Amino acid sequence: MVSEQSGKETAFRKQVRDWLKTNLPKGWGTPEYHAPERQTEAAQALGEKWTKTCYDAGYAGFGYPKEYGGIVRPDWEIRIIREEFTLCGTPPGPMSQGLLMAGPTILRWGQEWQKKRFLPKILNGEESWCQGFSEPDAGSDLANVRTAAVRDGDDWVVNGQKVWTSNWMFADFGLLVVKTDPAAKRHRNLSYFIFDCTSPGFSRRPLKQMSGESEFGEMFFDNVRIPHKNLLGELNMGWYVALTGLAAERSGGFAVGGRSTARRGWGNMESIVELAKETKHYGKAVWDDPLFRQRIAQFAIQGEAMRANGALQGAMARQGKKIDPNEVSVSKNFSAELRQHSDDMVMEILGAYSQMVEGSPLAVNGGDWVYGMLRWRGATIERGTSEINRNIIAEKILGLPREARGND
Amino acid sequence: MMEYGINEEQEMLKTMARDFLAKECPKTFTRAMMNDQTGITKDYWKKMADVGWTGLILPEQYGGANMTFRDLSILCEEMGRMVMPGPFVSTLVMSALPILNAGTEAQKQEFLPRIANGQMIMTAAVTETDGDFWPGGVNMQAYPRGEDYILTGAKSFVPDAMAADWFLVACRTKTSADPEEGITLCLVNKDDWGIYVNPLKTMDETRKQYQVTFNRIAVPAKYILGEVNKGWRYLKDAALRATALHCAEMVGGGEWVLETCVEYAKTRVQFGAPIGSFQAVKHHLANMYTQLEYARALMVWAAESVKENDPQADLAVNMAKAYCGDTFKMVAGLGIQIHGGIGFTWDHDMHLYFKRSRALDTVFGDANYHRELIAQHYD
Repeated sequence: MVSEQSGKETAFRKQVRDWLKTNLPKGWGTPEYHAPERQTEAAQALGEKWTKTCYDAGYAGFGYPKEYGGIVRPDWEIRIIREEFTLCGTPPGPMSQGLLMAGPTILRWGQEWQKKRFLPKILNGEESWCQGFSEPDAGSDLANVRTAAVRDGDDWVVNGQKVWTSNWMFADFGLLVVKTDPAAKRHRNLSYFIFDCTSPGFSRRPLKQMSGESEFGEMFFDNVRIPHKNLLGELNMGWYVALTGLAAERSGGFAVGGRSTARRGWGNMESIVELAKETKHYGKAVWDDPLFRQRIAQFAIQGEAMRANGALQGAMARQGKKIDPNEVSVSKNFSAELRQHSDDMVMEILGAYSQMVEGSPLAVNGGDWVYGMLRWRGATIERGTSEINRNIIAEKILGLPREARGND
Repeated sequence: MMEYGINEEQEMLKTMARDFLAKECPKTFTRAMMNDQTGITKDYWKKMADVGWTGLILPEQYGGANMTFRDLSILCEEMGRMVMPGPFVSTLVMSALPILNAGTEAQKQEFLPRIANGQMIMTAAVTETDGDFWPGGVNMQAYPRGEDYILTGAKSFVPDAMAADWFLVACRTKTSADPEEGITLCLVNKDDWGIYVNPLKTMDETRKQYQVTFNRIAVPAKYILGEVNKGWRYLKDAALRATALHCAEMVGGGEWVLETCVEYAKTRVQFGAPIGSFQAVKHHLANMYTQLEYARALMVWAAESVKENDPQADLAVNMAKAYCGDTFKMVAGLGIQIHGGIGFTWDHDMHLYFKRSRALDTVFGDANYHRELIAQHYD
C-alpha cells in the first residue's frame, strides 16, 4: 500500500524531474552538449541565468527568511529537489560563492539594511560575489592578514593584496577581512567589510593554476575607500565573522559520488565502472582485474558512506539534536581526500591515455578526467587544508589542547 | 521506513545497556572469562535474560521482547564497546532465527522460549577446515538411516561450542552443482554420546572457538530444521543479520578506543606538553574520529536495511562490513600506537580491542571478500 505522503512525494518528484527536463540547457547530459569554456563570460552568464531560472521556479533560495528573498518549502520537498538536481548534475549557478559564503555570513552578522540590500540578489543570482581572505603571508594562518584599513571620516581606506580569490573576475561585491587595529592582539585586530568591486583603486588579475586555467585571482587595494556602514559584525571582531563563512564554505563539500553527466562534471560510480569495463590493458578489461575491482568497490563504499552520513545527520537535526558546527571539517576532508584517491585510480585505469589532455585527439572524455585530477589537487588545500581541518577536528570536536604557535 | 536517527526508547535502551554492562561486564569479568573454557557464566547469562536481551527480537508468543533489529544493533554496539564475551550472537541470531524462520511449531515451542528466558545457549556449527563461512565449505555428510540422519565428521572455527547446550549443524545431504543446494540443518544436543568439543587456542580470548567432532550421531526427523537439502538460505539470512550486528560491535569498540586515546592524549605529558597537543598525535585522532563517523553511518544504513528487508540490504551489509572492519582495525592499531609502551602491555585493555578487531574482520568474510561482492553488484 502506498501511503499518502509517499504518493505526494512521487508526484512532486515527477514535477521536479519534468521541470528539469524542460529547463536545463538543450542537450544537457548528452555528449552533444558543449559547456562554455571555464571562466568565460559565457560560463558566468550560464550560471547566472540558471540560478535565476531555478529561483524563479522556487527551486532555489532555501534556508533564508522570506523577507530577504528566501523561498520557504517543506523539508521533504527540498530534499527531493536536491536529490533530483544532483542526479542531473545541474550547472553550477546555485552553488556560487555568493550563496556559499556571502549569504550565510550576511544572514548571521549583517545589519538590517545589508540583509535587505544584498540577500535577495544573491539568491536570485543577479549579483555575483567574491571574498578577500587569504594573502601571500596569510594562508593556513589566516589571522595573519596584513591588508590594513585606516579610518578617515565615514570611510575606511584600504591598502594591501589578497590572493586565491574565487570568482575574482566577475564579482560585483566582495567580502574583505582587514586589519583595523595594528596594536591589538591576534583575533581582536581584524574587521570584516563588504566592498564594491567598482571602487576606485581596486584592481584584479588572474592567477594561473597548475591545471592551466585561472579560476583564482589576485586583488589589489590601493587607497580603496569603503564606507563604515559596510562593516559586518563589530569593529575589530572580524575574525569571528570570518569563521562563519569558512565553515559555510567547507560545508559545500566536493562533487563526489554525484551522477554528474555534464561535460565538466565528474565521474560517479557508474561512470568509473563503465570506464573500467571499456578500458583494456594488455588485452584484458580493467574491470576484470581483482585489484581494480577492490579499489572501485572501496570508492563505492565511501561514496555511499557520505550519503548515509548525510542521512544520519539529517535525521539527528530533525530530532532537534545539536550537530557540532565543526563537523564540516570532517566531511570536507573526507570528500576532498576521496576525490583525490578516485582521481588517482582513474588515472591508473587510463594508463598511457592519462597523459592526454584537452585538445589531444587521444584525450579520453575530452580530457575531463585528467583536468579533474589536476584541478582537485587543490581540494585538500582550498577551504582549509586537510591539516588545518584535522587540527579543528582534534581541538574543537575532541577537545585536545592546542599546539603552541610561534606567534601566540 | 528507513530511519537513521534513534528514538527515545532506543536512547533508553542504550543508556540501560551502558549501565548494565558497566556494572556486570567490567574488564575484570571479561579477563576472567578469557581464562574460562566456556567463556561465559550461567549467572551472567541469567542476568541478561532478566533484562530481556536473550530474546530481544523474538516474538512475544515465544517469550521474546519483540523488539526490532535496529534495537538489537544498538544493544550490540554497547556490547562491542565493552568487548563483551559470550555466545550472544551465536544464540539469538545464528541459531534462534533459523529456528524461527524454518522451524515447525513444535521446534519453535521447544527451543525459542528457552532461548528467550536464558535457559538455553546455542551455536551454529557451519564452517569446516577452509575456515570460510560459505555453502561450498559445508562438506560434512549426513546420510539417512530409516527416519534418522546420521552425522559423522568435524566442524571447525565453531564459536561458543563449550557454552552451548544445543548445536545447529549444517550438513551436506546432496552434492550438486550449486553448493547452496543439498545442505540440511540439524538440531543436535551437545550431550549426545559421540560429540567431542575441543577448545582452539585463539588470539581473541574473549571469543572462544572450538573444533567439534561428530561420531555417528543420529538425528531424528523431529530435529531436522526446515526442508532437507534446502537449509542454506536460513543460515545465509541469519549470517547477513549477524554480520550487520558485528558492524555495530566494531563501531562500539572503535569508539571506546577513540575515547580512551583522547583521554590519554590530554593527560600524558612528554616534552613538557600533553601529547595530544602535537599534530602528529592529534591528526591520528582526527583520522580515527573521521573514519568512525562514516563507519557508523554505514552501520546504521545496514541495520535499517536489514530491519526493513530492503532490496539493498545485502549491498548495505557488504559495504558496512568492509568499511567497519578496516576502520576498527585501523583505530585499534592506532590505539596501541598512541598509548606507546603502556598500550603494548597485557595489563592495558587496548589489546583486547586490537584482537577483537582482527577476529571480527575475519568473521563472515573480511573486507576484501565483501568488496568483491560489491563489485559483483556492478558486473
